[in-house]
Amino acid sequence: MNALVKTRIQLQIADRFGHVFEQREKRPLEILPTGVAEIDQVLDGFPRGAITEIHGTASCGRTSLLLSALAAASSSEETCALVDCSNTFDLSSAADAGVSFDCLLWVRCNNNLERAFKAVDLLLHGGGFGFIFLNLADMPAKTLRRIVSTWWFRFRRAIENTPTVLAVATPVACVRSCAAMALELKCEGSVWPGADAFVAEEQQRALRSKSEPSSPHLWLVASNDRYEIGSSTVNHSHFLQALTVHVNRERPLAGSDRTVRFAPHSP
Amino acid sequence: MFACIHGRSVSKSTADSGARGLTLVELAFTFSPLVEETSAETVVLDVAGQSLLFGEMSSRTKDESNVMSNIANTIVRRASHLHLTVNVAVAANADAAIHAARAFKGITIIAASDELLHLGALSIKHLDYSLAAIDEKRAEEFHETFALWGVRTFDDLAKLPLPGVAERLGQEGVRLQKLAQGKSDRRLNLVRPPVGFEQSLELEHPVIELEPLSFVLSRLLNQLCANLNEYSLATNELRLRLVTERCLEYRLQSGISAAYEKGPTEVGILNTCDLLHERTITLPVPMRDAKTLLRLVLFDIEAHPPVAPIIKVAISAEPVQPRASQTGLFIPLAPEPEKLEITLARLAKLVGPENVGSPELLDTHRPDAFRVIKFRLNQRSGRNARIASRLALNADERQRDCAAGGPAMPTFSVMGFRIFRPPWAADVQTIRGQPTRISARADSSRKVRGQIVCTAGPWRASGDWWRADIWARDEWDVVVVDPASTEHEVLCRIYRDLSSEQWFVEGIYD
Repeated sequence: MNALVKTRIQLQIADRFGHVFEQREKRPLEILPTGVAEIDQVLDGFPRGAITEIHGTASCGRTSLLLSALAAASSSEETCALVDCSNTFDLSSAADAGVSFDCLLWVRCNNNLERAFKAVDLLLHGGGFGFIFLNLADMPAKTLRRIVSTWWFRFRRAIENTPTVLAVATPVACVRSCAAMALELKCEGSVWPGADAFVAEEQQRALRSKSEPSSPHLWLVASNDRYEIGSSTVNHSHFLQALTVHVNRERPLAGSDRTVRFAPHSP
Repeated sequence: MFACIHGRSVSKSTADSGARGLTLVELAFTFSPLVEETSAETVVLDVAGQSLLFGEMSSRTKDESNVMSNIANTIVRRASHLHLTVNVAVAANADAAIHAARAFKGITIIAASDELLHLGALSIKHLDYSLAAIDEKRAEEFHETFALWGVRTFDDLAKLPLPGVAERLGQEGVRLQKLAQGKSDRRLNLVRPPVGFEQSLELEHPVIELEPLSFVLSRLLNQLCANLNEYSLATNELRLRLVTERCLEYRLQSGISAAYEKGPTEVGILNTCDLLHERTITLPVPMRDAKTLLRLVLFDIEAHPPVAPIIKVAISAEPVQPRASQTGLFIPLAPEPEKLEITLARLAKLVGPENVGSPELLDTHRPDAFRVIKFRLNQRSGRNARIASRLALNADERQRDCAAGGPAMPTFSVMGFRIFRPPWAADVQTIRGQPTRISARADSSRKVRGQIVCTAGPWRASGDWWRADIWARDEWDVVVVDPASTEHEVLCRIYRDLSSEQWFVEGIYD
């Protein structure tokens, strides 16, 4: 619309409706990178001042994605908060993901959903946090569907016009229209190594004798304390190489799918 | 008008145990804020303008000598209560008052222009050369000169011709002559009143609820913060002292009483032992905002309530330099320290203080060993360095693997893991030591059950063999498929506790 025409119209209706065009002008969208290159290429990141919902079944990669986002936020020295409803935050994998615990506030709610929501509300109204992660991944879907929408509306209202990202991990979609972005994650499968590549020669002979060709199991190693592969020690990252996740953006409605691989950490 | 108090200060250690020992300076500050500590045994205070306090109101006259006499009597009376024996002199000239207080016992009142009348007979030995800014060596020379001239009293020196004194002794001699005449003109070298950032209030009635107590605390904290503000200071530690009433079977009510629902025996023991309820609130950054401090104190009282009604409230602050921070355009977002502290206090009240904080990994191989420490902003401790070094070691290890012909590890994002606390006990079926079927349940809605379709392991881990809580286990990474929904695969880590031979689900890869 021509700016002159726009100004004329606004002057004509200013008495009744005020400066409508100025009020409706939105600020440019700010984003927080997720730390996952495949997702950042499509989404750029999580929108600031809005709720992002990440839902999917167990082992679908929700925690991996959010740990990457936490690591990205903490690496840029943003103050982060994790409201852990079911107390399942694993510090070891988070440390391997690069999360800095110095700027992370961890709130454990011991499976009390109401406390978790009140804690998020306090954090949002306290202000100053760059990334708030509400972990509802282990809560039953039935319970999550019963959450009254006013909580989400309250969060959306509190977070708008702030540079804070509120990310919610759930097993089912429950934030509904209050989420500015909704991602559905599906597990495409885990990546397992070939047995021969990882076991020392003397063990391989034993494994060949034990293994059953028709079995789907990976017969990797026997129960000894340590195994040396080359010069390094075997750990979980040698057993389980990656988790492949399919990410589908449900909101906003411009569909974009991506496949992401997450590597296991080394305890 | 000036009053001089001359006497020996009582040290605080030798003071009567009932009353706090006061020095002469502290005694002087009870009369006037303008006090000079001339020497260890002499203080001068400006008492001008105190006629309304010490004048004879009945006669409705402002007789100056009457006011001076009242002031001097009050000072002597107050000093005697504090076991101090003092000489008091009140004069229009500060130096005249000093000389009179040092020379005459008891109370001396010197009206304006009568200074020479009172001081004239004093020996020249009583002349304080330091008041004329003359050092000791020069003072001895002057003393010898006066002896040669036959000047033996203040009167003798005062009556010498001024041009002759100025010609022979210079400006120092002129100043000494004015001292002898009681006409010197100088400003008091003021001392700052002792800084005490403590406020207390005794209550007429015992307080048993939080709301009325908040009004009392608000008043005290407002005054405390005003004092801090006056000195451009802030505080990083508040000490709250509540004196509680001794009563055996008292049940507190309402807001602060939730934690008090105890048996009468326990309440009685607590009350007889703990009449004083003391709390120390440490603040992460210096602050002096009364509202913020009030909220923090109230949250602390709610979390740690006293056991009986409160009859006296005292609160003190540790004065420190205020926080100075430089902001910038490119500094990342962070909560305001004052707001953050209130938010943390509210969160601690909501979920418990042990459930709020910054996580810290412990330096041990024991699985899931961590602790929660207080969350502080801009804290870059050695933990980051340890994590960074650990990540660097992992990266080096992977590079070595690749270099040694091992599997190439692409730079994926790290797979997340959700750990169950406590781990779920599981029933696992095995064939030749390999798990094939699992059934574990945390509650009615959370369970892992089904056929194990893919397995890797075991990875044996053990530690702390030198302690009673030794741990040893075989870990497996398994994929579980629930027969009820074959599309849903759960990738979890299970382990067998080698001491109890019991299987557990440790968590889920997610």
